Amino acid sequence: MWPFGAVDWLTLTVPFAYIFVLTGSLAVFSSLYRKRKAANAASLEPWFPPHLQRNIYLSLLHQESPKVPDSYLKAALLRRATEDIHRIVQIRNAKGALQVLLQRGSVGDDLWQRFQRAEKEIEEELRDVVNEANAFAPNWGQTIFQSASEMAQNTQIRDRLTDILATSSSEKEWWEKRKAAIQSDFMKELDEEKKGPITEAERNSSVSSAKPVPRMGSDDDAVIVEGGGPAEKAAKAKKKGKGKN
Amino acid sequence: MESPDTFTLLPLNLDPSSATKPVTVSGISSNALVTELDALNKLHAQLLSVDTSTKTPPPPVPVNPKRSAAIGKLRESGNVEFRKANYPGAVNYYGLAIQMALGRPHWEPSGLVREEVSGLLSNRAQANMAQQNWAEGAVDAEASVEMKKVANAKGWWRRGKCLLEMGRLEEAEIWVKQGLEYEATEQDLVQLKEEIEAKKRK
Repeated sequence: MWPFGAVDWLTLTVPFAYIFVLTGSLAVFSSLYRKRKAANAASLEPWFPPHLQRNIYLSLLHQESPKVPDSYLKAALLRRATEDIHRIVQIRNAKGALQVLLQRGSVGDDLWQRFQRAEKEIEEELRDVVNEANAFAPNWGQTIFQSASEMAQNTQIRDRLTDILATSSSEKEWWEKRKAAIQSDFMKELDEEKKGPITEAERNSSVSSAKPVPRMGSDDDAVIVEGGGPAEKAAKAKKKGKGKN
Repeated sequence: MESPDTFTLLPLNLDPSSATKPVTVSGISSNALVTELDALNKLHAQLLSVDTSTKTPPPPVPVNPKRSAAIGKLRESGNVEFRKANYPGAVNYYGLAIQMALGRPHWEPSGLVREEVSGLLSNRAQANMAQQNWAEGAVDAEASVEMKKVANAKGWWRRGKCLLEMGRLEEAEIWVKQGLEYEATEQDLVQLKEEIEAKKRK
């Protein structure tokens, strides 16, 4: 039997109190420190703007009277997944570059913390979406992000295509004008030829004398003038005409 | 983004009887929200016509064969018209086929859409070129290349040719050079480049 009587309870409380105070203060410090750190991280600007699609989905989900039919929720969930895909792509693209910049010391620690927070958030978000999807239909969680990724890409290529095809009318207008200009030039040329048959040499000299060319006698200048002169345009227009028949 | 446990409640209204805009926002609304709701409503309408039992979009593959068959048919009709030298008819058919291909539900594979649309646009460019509609041909060929840059030598060549015909030599030269980066061994492109250079020297 333990000799209880021999224990001096009063002196024994001293070491116990010491241990209690020590662990207590450590615990308080650690919890305060963590809270402060979390608050710091939270006070940093978030990486992404508010997740509109998520807000819409959750707003619809939480509507009570009347309850929103599942079909709307599914559509909203799919929209949300598509936005998540955009965000994942951004995160993946940014990660490598950011790591390099951080190693070189080009960006501050804040940015890295914001990034890591975004990464964590997006992981949570993906898990949440998968769970929600599985709640709507068995195994939808496995394919929802495939569908969402295709949706993101499809939207992008359709936008590109619409942009390009929209230029069609203006291009056409430009070409019509240009064609008309070439044709009228050609007609003028024809008229001139009708007025009087000019030999090639005569026309060259007339053109070059009509324009203020500084060194008129030089061979090079003559060639340049001929290149820009009506002779070439006429040749081009003739070709056009030939193609049309 | 908010923390995982919270969200911003938006003042949304649901009116299932409305055909085009069942989900709307009441009170103050931002532009982004309105566009997003439009997209949501459109997607919802698309989802209603899905024929899976759960009314969720099926996985991207396998593809619903009906639409592919319809597109193939339209393309064939276009080819037939082209061979008959009825070029406006061919342009028309190709245009319909392109619309059909772009009308695929968005959750179907985007790679497939690229492939189909690129081929169709390239064909339409050719039909336009046959009518000397160089401007339209150039735009179609550009779009075709945008959809599929690699192994699309015809697309590259056609825009180059159209630009050349319109007398836009500088643009044509840059374009063909770009094309040669993807299709260095393509004889037609090399020839076209020489043609352009010869024209420029004149």
